[in-house]
Amino acid sequence: MEGNEISNLSLLFIIVFVFIPVSLSYWFSLDLSKTIIWSSIRGVAQLFIIGYVLTFLFDLPSWQGIGLWVTVMVIVAAINASRKGRNIPYVFPVVLMVISLTEVFILSLWLLFGYIPFSAEKVIPISGMVIGNSMIAIGLALERLQHQFSEEKGRILAALSLGATPNQASLQIIRKTLKAALIPNIDGLKTIGLVQLPGMMTGLILGGVSPLDAVRYQIVISLSIFVSVAVCAMMVTLLLYRFYFNDKMQLIDLNS
Amino acid sequence: MDKNQSIITCKDVSTDRLKDISFELRRKQITTIVGPSGAGKSSLLFLLNRLEEPTSGEIYYLGRNIKDIPVTQLRCEIGMVFQSAYLFDGTAEENIQYGPKLRGEVEDCDVNRLLDLVDLPQSFKSRYVTSLSGGEQQRVAIARTFANKPSVLLLDEATSALDIKTTEHIEELLIRLRDEKEISVLMVTHNLKQAERMGEQTLYIEEGRLLESGLTSEIFEHPETNHFEQFLKE
Ligand SMILES: Nc1ncnc2c1ncn2[C@@H]1O[C@H](COP(=O)(O)OP(=O)(O)OP(=O)(O)O)[C@@H](O)[C@H]1O
Ligand SMILES: [Mg+2]
Repeated sequence: MEGNEISNLSLLFIIVFVFIPVSLSYWFSLDLSKTIIWSSIRGVAQLFIIGYVLTFLFDLPSWQGIGLWVTVMVIVAAINASRKGRNIPYVFPVVLMVISLTEVFILSLWLLFGYIPFSAEKVIPISGMVIGNSMIAIGLALERLQHQFSEEKGRILAALSLGATPNQASLQIIRKTLKAALIPNIDGLKTIGLVQLPGMMTGLILGGVSPLDAVRYQIVISLSIFVSVAVCAMMVTLLLYRFYFNDKMQLIDLNS
Repeated sequence: MDKNQSIITCKDVSTDRLKDISFELRRKQITTIVGPSGAGKSSLLFLLNRLEEPTSGEIYYLGRNIKDIPVTQLRCEIGMVFQSAYLFDGTAEENIQYGPKLRGEVEDCDVNRLLDLVDLPQSFKSRYVTSLSGGEQQRVAIARTFANKPSVLLLDEATSALDIKTTEHIEELLIRLRDEKEISVLMVTHNLKQAERMGEQTLYIEEGRLLESGLTSEIFEHPETNHFEQFLKE
């Protein structure tokens, strides 16, 4: 790559800039100073560690490096996303299964159509993007699902009492949940490149790749992310809403 | 059919909120339930609509254990109107057609007649339920339950949000349904006058127990327990 490197000194400067929001927070008593400092330090440390880990992984044979890191990413994502639906039974195994299946599916497509070679340098970063976005969408879906089920409890009971099956009684909720989970991605896709250049494309361009080549990568990535996000949110929602009902078509109060 | 035939029988039904409830509802009978707030009146209706399960005891509908009746069918035959209207997003018509639509019987659902039944003008059909007053919403909810043609109607303070005139209309309607359609009604009410006026049989529930039950005219005249006597005085 022909991009210039960032020296340790210039890196230090960007960290110093963090003290601007910290002092603002102090002046206006926003009570955010600790959080800002803590999350900045944490972010920097995490990134450096990841840098070393990636270097290590890229030196391993592809199978091992990819296998190891994709497994770690999937598990961390599943733990993180399923925390948003703590009260729902089987939420972790279901989320884990959905994310894994989606990742395997998307990865196979990439390899099958030759978008990327089976090398850790390529597979790991873009898998990270797919898994990360799926994690966020699943988290949103779970949060929404729980919220809807407590908010709409009365209407679900009314629907059941009128002879609706759990499926029929939750139709509205499932729709609203999926809309909420997918809208950030749909909106993002609509304005992609206009407001903010996607992170990967920015990276490629900074790294010296021509914009038109960067765009091709971005199309593959953006659509892959969109597909996996949609599939993940739908599968998780459709697999888990049923746990709000028992086999007698009665609503179970999971939130209490 | 025999007027004295039991349509619903509760035998020693208990949940975490109710204790050993036993009573019978008869065909073409209006039964009123009274009792202090939090006594478990709504909980009892939930059991009969099978929205909740008793921890012990049995409930029979027309002599069959309700566990042996398909749940959706039971819920249509024992219709329920909740303490709140719980209408779905959409128009009054869409709400009223909800039940029949589930079973693909929308053509049989005469929305005009149902609106008429609950004293709402036909222009209300296309009104969005969010634009209706509390009393109007409650009436749409009643029409929505009627649309399923239930043979037992469970009403949870269905008239408490309505004015005197509409309440009278609903009461007349219930009496008409009982006489013409042979519907049995089980209604929870906070209004003792209404409980006495409408009931043939009355159940008095306090702290999850059925403390007194009997013919309305008799127990309102001569309460058997101090609890009910106290309650009538307040
Ligand atoms: N979903 C629930 N979870 C736990 N407890 C509940 C629930 N719903 C009601 N209860 C409790 O059960 C008891 C009986 O409630 P219920 O709603 O049946 O009373 P009620 O007689 O209908 O009262 P009201 O006249 O105020 O409507 C109350 O103590 C109530 O706090
Ligand atoms: Mg109640």
